[in-house]
Amino acid sequence: MHGNTPLLSIRELKKVYKTREGELEALGSVTFDIYPQEFVSIVGPSGCGKTTLLKIIAGLLPKTSGEIFVDKKQFDPSREVGFVFQKPLLLPWRKVIDNVLLPIEILKLDKRNYIEKARALLELVGLSGFENNYPNELSGGMQQRVSIARALIHDPKLILMDEPFGALDALTRERMNLELLRIWSESQKTILFVTHGIQEAIFLSDRVIILSARPSRMIKALDIELPRPRTMEVRSSAEFGVYSLEVYRCLELT
Amino acid sequence: MKLLLRRVGYFFLFLLFWQVAVMVLGIKEFIIPSPLKTLSHIFQPTLAAKYQWPLHIQATLMEILLSFLITAISGNLVALLISWSRALKTLITPIIVFFNSLPKIALAPLFLLWFGYGLLPNTLIAVLVAFFPIVINTSTGLEQVDEDLLNLVRYLGATKGQIYVKIKIPNALPYIFSGFKISATMCVVGSIVGEFIASDKGLGYLLKDAQAFIDTPTMFACLLLISLLGILFFGALSLLEARVLYWMPQTTGGGKG
Ligand SMILES: Nc1ncnc2c1ncn2[C@@H]1O[C@H](COP(=O)(O)OP(=O)(O)OP(=O)(O)O)[C@@H](O)[C@H]1O
Ligand SMILES: [Mg+2]
Repeated sequence: MHGNTPLLSIRELKKVYKTREGELEALGSVTFDIYPQEFVSIVGPSGCGKTTLLKIIAGLLPKTSGEIFVDKKQFDPSREVGFVFQKPLLLPWRKVIDNVLLPIEILKLDKRNYIEKARALLELVGLSGFENNYPNELSGGMQQRVSIARALIHDPKLILMDEPFGALDALTRERMNLELLRIWSESQKTILFVTHGIQEAIFLSDRVIILSARPSRMIKALDIELPRPRTMEVRSSAEFGVYSLEVYRCLELT
Repeated sequence: MKLLLRRVGYFFLFLLFWQVAVMVLGIKEFIIPSPLKTLSHIFQPTLAAKYQWPLHIQATLMEILLSFLITAISGNLVALLISWSRALKTLITPIIVFFNSLPKIALAPLFLLWFGYGLLPNTLIAVLVAFFPIVINTSTGLEQVDEDLLNLVRYLGATKGQIYVKIKIPNALPYIFSGFKISATMCVVGSIVGEFIASDKGLGYLLKDAQAFIDTPTMFACLLLISLLGILFFGALSLLEARVLYWMPQTTGGGKG
């Protein structure tokens, strides 16, 4: 299904936090690969280190040990990664389009070359016409779309998403799932998606990585072989139920 | 705009009430003069010439504006330095805490001794009083940033300068403005106190001078003009705030903290 060189390789990644009460082993030893243009979700109990894992990949936290490679090389996360946080984190004093262009400014690239791209991305996330609005004029779902456009603007290979739809209501969330699949296939990016929603993970992903409680290890990488493009109907299919049950079983919820 | 009209309306209602009360109760002029009497000391040509209002207003206004300018610049600069460098923070913070705990007005006589008479000491007294609110507000503002907002630019490799220019400083603007508004009031107080202690110009000087002659209407006129200066200054800052913080959800009312 995918090519043979992984885009992202994580090898025996460990993270130990030093706290006042002593050492806290967040990531036990995590190993997995993600291939180009894959959509991979990570599920696991709360506090098992999912956010920690994404932050280490993005270079926001130092790892304790282990290796991370992109295209088999050590890599510069600022160029290769786009991060979508749980909160939209838009700068309220900037117009939507200037929020999308923020990474360009930080990376000191020439903004003029990216304005058209920013518009195109806003169109991709379904927000054309809102370029000159301010964030507080948008709904929560729209704000999160802006933050997705922002994560794509500098053309990173890998998009990390940390429960991006966790704060949205169920209906908006399902709509955003469909939108995300469309954005993913049109932009041809590789996505690593953290979520608490098991259904959401299965619906979106090529593969669901299931982590154990802290210190976390990978319990299973479950390949989801549901046909694409996926629609909401797939959720009521028998295979979908089998996958869900499998994830629940791995998380010892049954 | 509506709000402004309503406020002006209330003010006139208050003047009317005051006028009626003074007339009905027969309060002596040297205790509480009527508003008409007070205003006549400002607007009636012969009286106005005697008191040289423009001269005194200008003196006080200069002190207020100059002290505000100095405080706004130096206060924000100090706050920025404290926030920028941990070493400077541990160095400067105790000094600030110490000076802030002093009764600053009580230092005024010392300032007169050092700097003589007039604009300079009065301005410096106002600076001393108005300085700390700015430092405290701005430093708080620079610290009140969502950690994830910083992560958002950090993973892109933002420099410290970029973090300040793109995130921390704009994020602190609401705090900076609330510091401005507090210290604007302090600048008025400081200038007047300076003029009380020793001066030959300014509304504070005239107020004290009139007191010696039990010239209560003039004292009231001074008070009226001082508060008018304060209100206008505060209003101008509120307008500027609404302009700069256009992106804040609720600045139309103007004025918080
Ligand atoms: N800066 C830190 N210092 C010390 N411990 C931390 C720190 N950040 C996280 N932890 C701990 O590490 C563990 C993993 O945290 P993390 O936020 O990565 O979990 P998570 O899987 O994202 O949880 P959730 O699903 O609730 O978002 C938790 O036990 C947490 O308390
Ligand atoms: Mg998390």
